[in-house]
Amino acid sequence: MKAIATLTRPERGTALLLSIGLAVLGLVMAAVARQGVMATHGMMAVALGLFLSVALAGAMNEPEPPADRLHRYYDAPTRFGIGLTLIWAVIGMGVGVWVAALLYWPEGTPPWPWTSFGRLRPVHTSGVIFGFGGNALIATSFHVLQRTSRARLADSVSPWFILIGFNLFCLWAASGYLMGSTQSKEYAEAEWYADIWLVVVWVTYFVLYIRTLARRNEPHIYVANWYYMAFILVVAMLHIVNNIALPVNLGTAESFPVWAGVQDAMIQWWYGHNAVAFFLTAGFLGMLYYFLPVRSGRPIWSYRLSIISFWGIVFFYIWVGSHHLHYTALPYWVQTLGMTFSVMLLVPSWASAGNAIATLNGAWHKVRDDATLRFMFVAAVFYGLSTFEGSFLAIRPVNSLSHYTDWTVGHVHSGTLGWVAMIVFGAIYTLVPQLSGRETMAWPRAIEWHFWLAVGGTLIYVVSMWNAGITQGLMWRAYDEGGALSYSFIETVEAMAPYYLLRTIGGGMFLTGAILCALNCRATFRDAPALPDTSERPLSPQPAE
Amino acid sequence: MLKLHYNLEKVSMGLVVAIIVAASIGGIVEIAPLFRIDETVQLPEDLRPNTPLELAGREIFIREGCYACHSQMVRSLGDELDRYGPYSLAAESAYDHPMLWGSKRTGPDLARLGEKYSDDWHVAHLIDPRAVVPASIMPAYPWLMRPLDTGLLRDGLATLARLGVPYDEAQIAAAPADALAQSRPDSTEAEGFIERWGEEIALRDFDGDPARLTEMDALVAYLQSLGRLTDAPYRLMAAEEGAQ
Amino acid sequence: MSAHRDQPPEVDPVTGYDTTGHDWNGIKELNTPFPRIVIWALVITFVYSVIAWVLLPAFPWGRDYTRGLLGLDQRELAVEQFRKMDAVRQDWLPRFADADYAALAGDEALMAQAMPAAARLFQDNCAACHGATGDGGPGFPVLSDGYWLWGGDPETIAETLRYGINATHPDTRIAEMPSFNWMSREERAAMASHVAGMLDGRSDPDSAAGVSFVENCAACHGEAGEGGLDIGAPSLIDEAVIYGQDRASVMRTLFDGRAGVMPAWEGRLSEAEIGLLALYVSGLSRADAEDAQ
Ligand code: HEC
Ligand code: HEC
Ligand code: HEC
Ligand code: HEM
Ligand code: HEM
Ligand SMILES: [Ca+2]
Ligand SMILES: [Ca+2]
Ligand SMILES: [Cu+2]
Repeated sequence: MKAIATLTRPERGTALLLSIGLAVLGLVMAAVARQGVMATHGMMAVALGLFLSVALAGAMNEPEPPADRLHRYYDAPTRFGIGLTLIWAVIGMGVGVWVAALLYWPEGTPPWPWTSFGRLRPVHTSGVIFGFGGNALIATSFHVLQRTSRARLADSVSPWFILIGFNLFCLWAASGYLMGSTQSKEYAEAEWYADIWLVVVWVTYFVLYIRTLARRNEPHIYVANWYYMAFILVVAMLHIVNNIALPVNLGTAESFPVWAGVQDAMIQWWYGHNAVAFFLTAGFLGMLYYFLPVRSGRPIWSYRLSIISFWGIVFFYIWVGSHHLHYTALPYWVQTLGMTFSVMLLVPSWASAGNAIATLNGAWHKVRDDATLRFMFVAAVFYGLSTFEGSFLAIRPVNSLSHYTDWTVGHVHSGTLGWVAMIVFGAIYTLVPQLSGRETMAWPRAIEWHFWLAVGGTLIYVVSMWNAGITQGLMWRAYDEGGALSYSFIETVEAMAPYYLLRTIGGGMFLTGAILCALNCRATFRDAPALPDTSERPLSPQPAE
Repeated sequence: MLKLHYNLEKVSMGLVVAIIVAASIGGIVEIAPLFRIDETVQLPEDLRPNTPLELAGREIFIREGCYACHSQMVRSLGDELDRYGPYSLAAESAYDHPMLWGSKRTGPDLARLGEKYSDDWHVAHLIDPRAVVPASIMPAYPWLMRPLDTGLLRDGLATLARLGVPYDEAQIAAAPADALAQSRPDSTEAEGFIERWGEEIALRDFDGDPARLTEMDALVAYLQSLGRLTDAPYRLMAAEEGAQ
Repeated sequence: MSAHRDQPPEVDPVTGYDTTGHDWNGIKELNTPFPRIVIWALVITFVYSVIAWVLLPAFPWGRDYTRGLLGLDQRELAVEQFRKMDAVRQDWLPRFADADYAALAGDEALMAQAMPAAARLFQDNCAACHGATGDGGPGFPVLSDGYWLWGGDPETIAETLRYGINATHPDTRIAEMPSFNWMSREERAAMASHVAGMLDGRSDPDSAAGVSFVENCAACHGEAGEGGLDIGAPSLIDEAVIYGQDRASVMRTLFDGRAGVMPAWEGRLSEAEIGLLALYVSGLSRADAEDAQ
């Protein structure tokens, strides 16, 4: 285990204690639950804890890392996090393609409960949002935080705790859905003990972040860190409030959220929308703010615009969740607030996109030649597109057409494929060679292939879902001249078939690109020379750990 | 202003506090009043909570992820009134922990489903949707014919009661027995069920297999209860029609 | 932390703007002023919002909320929209409510108007059981073959729709096939063969099963199994079959009994829609017969 070699002996001791603690926690869970999902999850924790303990105990007396490590950045966790990002990308998007195919070909569902559409869909959403997006955010945030602070991470154990703990959460969540354990709250489906566990992980993450910032060597905190911090803080707040639940009893995964009915709906979409805002947007803006200027070699176009966009996004976003509940039993006044704030939100959103694109001024030749930078450029464009679309969809009459249809799904994937995934790939192609001590990726031409597969796949996916959604919405509300509804529901289902097929093809292309990326990264890491020295600039002396 | 920000950027805890404040206001303004403004949820007198069997069915609905394709919310739009029936009221989901309003209609809305189809149809449809609706893209759920586990029902009702759902002691204590009784109209336990839950509630064998209490019994009982927990939406629409 | 000082601003050659003087691992920022357009966009979207807040319900206020100058209520609006379309339907739909069906069926213009609407209603409410074209399914009768349990004239069909069969409506039609599980297995088997044979006239009315049929079944299904006694008991001598008339299916019918449920539509559908559907359904078999010719 190369990673253990980066820890000092006392750190290995701490890690060993934590691993044993995890195994004990798992044992307690399994003992209390005795059967069912929670017992399985307990045993998973036991297995993970034991595996880590054995690995650590075995490597306890290996040579310690050199004393000058404190003058270098700590990149091993970032490397590990990128590996996890890519694994989850393939799992999450693979399941996405599979559920897309099931909607075209429902007979293809095998007769086992855990392969059913309703159970797999949250595996897809959690897999890509938390597994793929979350790991990418954590991994890059470690990198960005150290570089922009010119300080090493405040300690060496907690980054591992955060990454491993977070992935245990993802694993509990996804395997829970397969076994039928879910709270049904979109993007927060994981059950109560997983929710509590995530809080522990998240608090550790915040503490590590703030401690490292405190050691920074630059007087100012860079914009990327504002966004990463907003991501960490607000997600914590949303997660805790939305997930408060009473377990049916302590020995079972089942629980009832304390909120009910209309209040639950509002809290759910206050959470749901801001999961989009602070998970899928704020964090990735942090990523964009670092990797775009680094790759293009250009200064950020406007510091002042950054300020306005940042605070605009933080303040406006939190108001708009009610646009998911237009025309429902949620009182009209909340809908008006959701609609108007969504419209105002467009300004800071476009200001960010514009700031990113203007940053490329003077580097357009690089955009043309460098697929990695092109990923970031396309991400900024899709960010602009999907936020414009979002603000448009938030207008009540528009939403009356789009809501419940595949138009929403089209919007979602213009944001997640076009924006989130593209910026992640851009960041990965920038980072991976650097972390491997190489000039380029192992297969530089594959990046070009990946780029076109991703852009083509996204366009096919999004355009087919726009067509599907608008067709569906118009058919649902079409009246004939006699004032009677024109279409039965099943006719609208039949009309979707060609679009569902196209979406599967587009998704398949996107997935192929992602697999290519994963293989390319593996090859690059494989061929890495021994641990590269990644202190581009001198770090100031660090306090003893 | 710019100067202020210039300085704020140097203080990490200052940024933290500023972010928390800026990101709290909207939520507080929109959410807190929903608990206070009386008009938000007007509980009709005839509103009842789910029976234990229906509640078990609801958990299966959640477990299988039906909400991923089916909404339970008729929006206040003319064409939805035409297609589905009276618009949904906040009160209808007042006892729903969590609510299941949904966000996607791959299949039709289910808010007014109760008693629209027969139990037999639901069973046939859930076991193989394409046997009854050839163009359907809904997955099949053949495994629902397995026995229902009623072990958690008593704790479940008790937990919900703690959260404010009006279940009384007797209903909680008899929850597992009542789940069985609701599917056995001719049994002696049925009398106890009627005593605790009233005469109005569907009391029959839902899955076509009177010998066994299956997950299918629970899910179909739940589906047949959708939109039937209160008549308020129908009364309201009738009043609107009358006002014409 | 104070080890590092800001650098003096430099001019960016591409844009001509100054940098702020910060440098994070090589990343710099320009001090480009706010573009005017951003300010304008903020102002415009804010004005839009203020107008919306004034006109529409918007902010909570104590135990109430601001109602907005327009005094809009989304439920009233929905009912209004609904009524607007309903008003269009008033031209033709109410005629189906209390009707002389023969006259309606004769009015070709009206039927051209109404039948597509009826087809949509049928698809959304009935097709799940009776099939998209009314040709039934396992356990659900065919509506397009001209054989009827209760009668195929629109009046009778309308009544069936309104109250349902074995449904939860208080006036529901009742059609129960009792269970004959008190018979011995041999008796049931003989009876099943007998009934299965009735379709092609192979069965012998004088056999033991034939006699038993007259004793036990004729009250509902008629002496010769011709059905049609207005109690919903199907004919057993034509090919219109709900559950199947092969030996095994009949065995099951005899053992378990049957009471198929047709939901009641009163309340869910209006009286006029029921009338409309009744005409549509009665026409299904005619259309079928015409096809056959
Ligand atoms: C992949 C999407 C999907 C999933 C998951 C799904 N359904 Fe459906 N459902 C549909 C579609 C499409 C239809 C319309 C065609 C039909 O009637 O089968 C439908 C129709 C229905 C209907 C008939 C509604 C009506 O008014 O005609 C019911 C009831 C129903 N589903 C219940 C369920 C339940 C219960 C589950 C979960 C156990 C479920 N569905 C899961 C897609 C889905
Ligand atoms: C849940 C399934 C179901 C639905 C939905 C349904 N039906 Fe039926 N229908 C039945 C069954 C079952 C019977 C036969 C009842 C029996 O076995 O006696 C029946 C019987 C009938 C009959 C009587 C046939 C006869 O021979 O007299 C008519 C007419 C009819 N249905 C029309 C409709 C129409 C029109 C609709 C839609 C508004 C509809 N049905 C919806 C299940 C259904
Ligand atoms: C009390 C009246 C009654 C008696 C007595 C009765 N039946 Fe029936 N039978 C019915 C009714 C009503 C139905 C239709 C049930 C339904 O549609 O769910 C039916 C249905 C059937 C069917 C299914 C027909 C199909 O289309 O699938 C068969 C077969 C049958 N009966 C045979 C018999 C035989 C044999 C006997 C005597 C041993 C008998 N019935 C006695 C009322 C009766
Ligand atoms: C290979 C590419 C992908 C394919 C084929 C795909 C496919 C799908 C499908 C079929 C659905 C269900 C839609 C429905 O229920 O009608 C879905 C939902 C969703 N996907 Fe993807 N997906 C892909 C990538 C991603 C990525 C990368 C993300 C996020 C980073 C993502 C986020 C989501 C979300 C949030 C939803 C839920 C949308 C909603 O509830 O409206 N997907 N996806
Ligand atoms: C200004 C920015 C945005 C606004 C105002 C906005 C607005 C909206 C609206 C109105 C809906 C539809 C709600 C409905 O009818 O149910 C929606 C859905 C969604 N949006 Fe956005 N959007 C924005 C940006 C984004 C971005 C950048 C992403 C992804 C990275 C995204 C992801 C989603 C997701 C996942 C959903 C589906 C939620 C669900 O139903 O499950 N949005 N958004
Ligand atoms: Ca949760
Ligand atoms: Ca959704
Ligand atoms: Cu939103």
